[in-house]
Amino acid sequence: MIPDEYLQTFVVECRELLEQMEEALLIVEQAADDPEIINAIFRAAHTIKGSAGMFGIDPIVVFTHAAESVLDRVRSGDIAMSSVLAALFIEAHDHLSVLINHVAEDSHPASEIDSHGKSLIKQLEAYLGEAVADQPDHSGEMPVVHQSKLEREQSDEVGTDLWHLSLRFGVDVFRNGMDPFSFVRCLSSLGSIVQLVTLIDAIPVTEEMDPESCYLGFEISFSSDADKLAIESVFNFVRSDCFIRILPPRSKASEYQRLILELPEQEMRLGEILVKCGTLTPEELENILRFQSEHGDAPQRPIGEVLVEQQLVSPPVVEAALEKQKQINDHKKSEANLIRVDAEKLDELINLVGELIIAGAGTNLIARRAGMADLMESTATLSRLVEEVRDSALALRMVQIGGTFNRFQRVVRDVSKELGKDIDLVISGAETELDKTVVEKIGDPLTHLVRNSMDHGIEPAELRIARGKPAKGTLRLNAYHDAGSIVIEVSDDGGGLNKEKILGKAIERGLVAESANLTDKEIYNLIFEAGFSTADAVSNLSGRGVGMDVVRRNIQALRGTIDLDSVEGQGSTIRIRLPLTLAIIDGFMVGVGKAAYVIPLDMVVECIELRAWASDEGDGQYLNLRGEVLPYRRLRDHFDMEGERVQRENVVVVRYGEHKAGLVVDKLMGEFQTVIKPLGKLFKGEKSIGGFTILGSGEVALIVDVPGLMGQIEHERGMGEMTVAMAAK
Amino acid sequence: MANVKNKNQQSGRLVIEGELTIYTAMELKDKLLTGLSTTEELELDLSGVGEFDAAGLQLLVMIKQEAADLGKVLRFTGHSPVVLDLLDLSGLAGFFGDPLLFVYKPTHEGKST
Amino acid sequence: MAKTILFVEDSASVRQVMKSTLTREGYEVIVACDGQDALTKLDGCKIHLIISDVNMPNMDGLTFVKTAKQLPAYKFTPIIMLTTETQEAKMNEGKAAGVKAWIVKPFQPPQLLAAVSQLIQA
Repeated sequence: MIPDEYLQTFVVECRELLEQMEEALLIVEQAADDPEIINAIFRAAHTIKGSAGMFGIDPIVVFTHAAESVLDRVRSGDIAMSSVLAALFIEAHDHLSVLINHVAEDSHPASEIDSHGKSLIKQLEAYLGEAVADQPDHSGEMPVVHQSKLEREQSDEVGTDLWHLSLRFGVDVFRNGMDPFSFVRCLSSLGSIVQLVTLIDAIPVTEEMDPESCYLGFEISFSSDADKLAIESVFNFVRSDCFIRILPPRSKASEYQRLILELPEQEMRLGEILVKCGTLTPEELENILRFQSEHGDAPQRPIGEVLVEQQLVSPPVVEAALEKQKQINDHKKSEANLIRVDAEKLDELINLVGELIIAGAGTNLIARRAGMADLMESTATLSRLVEEVRDSALALRMVQIGGTFNRFQRVVRDVSKELGKDIDLVISGAETELDKTVVEKIGDPLTHLVRNSMDHGIEPAELRIARGKPAKGTLRLNAYHDAGSIVIEVSDDGGGLNKEKILGKAIERGLVAESANLTDKEIYNLIFEAGFSTADAVSNLSGRGVGMDVVRRNIQALRGTIDLDSVEGQGSTIRIRLPLTLAIIDGFMVGVGKAAYVIPLDMVVECIELRAWASDEGDGQYLNLRGEVLPYRRLRDHFDMEGERVQRENVVVVRYGEHKAGLVVDKLMGEFQTVIKPLGKLFKGEKSIGGFTILGSGEVALIVDVPGLMGQIEHERGMGEMTVAMAAK
Repeated sequence: MANVKNKNQQSGRLVIEGELTIYTAMELKDKLLTGLSTTEELELDLSGVGEFDAAGLQLLVMIKQEAADLGKVLRFTGHSPVVLDLLDLSGLAGFFGDPLLFVYKPTHEGKST
Repeated sequence: MAKTILFVEDSASVRQVMKSTLTREGYEVIVACDGQDALTKLDGCKIHLIISDVNMPNMDGLTFVKTAKQLPAYKFTPIIMLTTETQEAKMNEGKAAGVKAWIVKPFQPPQLLAAVSQLIQA
């Protein structure tokens, strides 16, 4: 009866909760006995159980119930949280993930999964000791069963086929938000009310009557095939506040007699009501009343006595509980204000904003060409707004990197167990934001780097102690924004890289010439070259055929770079630099011949006229920029373009990371916001072009991939040097 | 919210509009008693009652009994559908004894629903 | 006039299912994802029944119910609490705040519907 799309919500929700649960468990496992965190774990289990129950997914309900029961006891302090228990919960968490996956795939878990679940439940229940978890209660608060002993003696039976209900509502019924008639209406769903008499006898005289107190009672004769429990359950919510007697059809006369005695009204009046209701015939009533007087039962008991006896007054209320009103725990998480949006819709929006930007740029060009001041002013306003729309649209897709970082808690925990090393993960900069599309793609490279650092970077405990370091290794994940990029660092306090070893291997593999004079950094970065592996023994973790060169390729595919710093004996830091978004860039447009190129604006440092400010050192490789040696490249040469050089060439000085370079172009055309369109496969080999864009005029402009271009310049220069070196030999 | 209009002091006519429920019971009790105290013959117009519950019913019982105690005449008129519905369900239509317009059942006796 | 129910629950899937179930039964349903959200949604509008979870982030169900009960417009509004809570203290705290109806989770839509129909009819 529950539609499939809701089940999808359920799966997504459970996965999120499981993620939160895992995060919290990993913290708890590390020692913290923070009640807030334990509460978070409990709440996750609680919500999963609740939702699963609603969808009728019993295996999950049963399993979560066991976990929840133990967590509840932990929460109340009956059971202490230990790392052993936390580890058990982590296993339970994993099992739940498996179960949820089966729900998502609409498949049935294999029997070994089933038995694994059972064994986990057993382990969990062991913590509960004798108070083994009671099964989840499906029926709500169970009514106290006023089950009169129903020994039926044929002779004594009253002949009616009707149920008889006597109800006297407590004074607080209205104040508790209940309307007695509501129960009566609900009763109609179980059968038909033959007769209902509303008793107004208890309404006090005007002055004493509190209009917010309830003084009503009902006598009802009721025809129904339902059982007593079902009828009673209608009054579940009011039963602590209400005198309720339910007599089934053909109850013994003595039952009615007792009823009349118990009710507050005078017996003659009640008798009349019962007759009026059709529950008793006049003869039956007469018999009952006669029987009663013969046995000398006091026929007229004071009303109050009965009332008290029947607990019309609700049990004492714990006033103190009110005062203990806890301060609202103001979580930073403002989940209340979040809405879920399909990522595809966002992509579509950003695409449209992209088109808008292109169209806007077109209008701009036309306005400028026409030289209409009014129009230019208005397009300026328009572009400012479009820019803001773009920023907000992109911001929609920005997510904090913390979610990705936190996943590594688990990786680090598992890997350190596997390696037998004790390693702490320290996360910083978790709130740094980047585009969702980028986040999705850095998971794999990061995992590889983290594993690599743990495996090769951090030394075994004995070695660490021998080196005077704490036995426990530390792995750090850090993120921050820098010049339009996001920088992600993976660092360890391990042994660092061994320069000689790397260089030796690189020479052995023919990656560098023996005589090449390389800086430390250059040597370290050799490990990212294809076909390089330093691990002496190929361990279980690294050496899975995925080398650091693959990591670098993945990062480069994201228009990012990777490099490494290391201090021998103290550790290494791997730095990944990525663009904040892959969709749109602020560009700086330049012209070479008739073609237009776009250089990402955040990489542009300055623009100068070649002849006026810098001088060509003559070797065609370096410029003297105010005394600084700046490698440069003519785009005209780089892209093999025909045509004459123009008189006044300009240099665009670009910076990427720590490198600077000059790009010589024919003319500077100004800032230009642009949408990146990817190049086809045909251009995959072209490292210096990152994509293209369509100008407002309909022409195509290529986007210069500055890191790619700089890499190419450096590579060619290196080759040149190598050739020189070889020749000199 | 309940809204009581004492349209005409002489003829003693009160109009109850909106809620005749637990939410308005407190203020209505006073208003009904005040209304009754100023006249010998009071007409309670219930045509504008949009919500009516057991607390409201109790209030009508109270004012009816109060009027009887004081020997005054109290009439309920223009019972709105929600009022009719509950009077029917409670079987108290007979107690109030006012001419009612039951579309579905002719008697004033308590009936099954 | 359709009766209005405020449904407060942090699980999106439970919210979704119960909203559609209750709406199908002819109730107007306002949903909120925690106590704080629920308070902003109350806003003086007529609510015939509040159904609230106990364990929720930001503001738990009991705090919400206590706060709501202080508001004149909701002084007499019936409340059903959804809970797996079996702790006596919580129940008492709830009772003190005027909660009479507890539904123990996990429940299925028909069970909640049955409970709702005892308190208000669509």
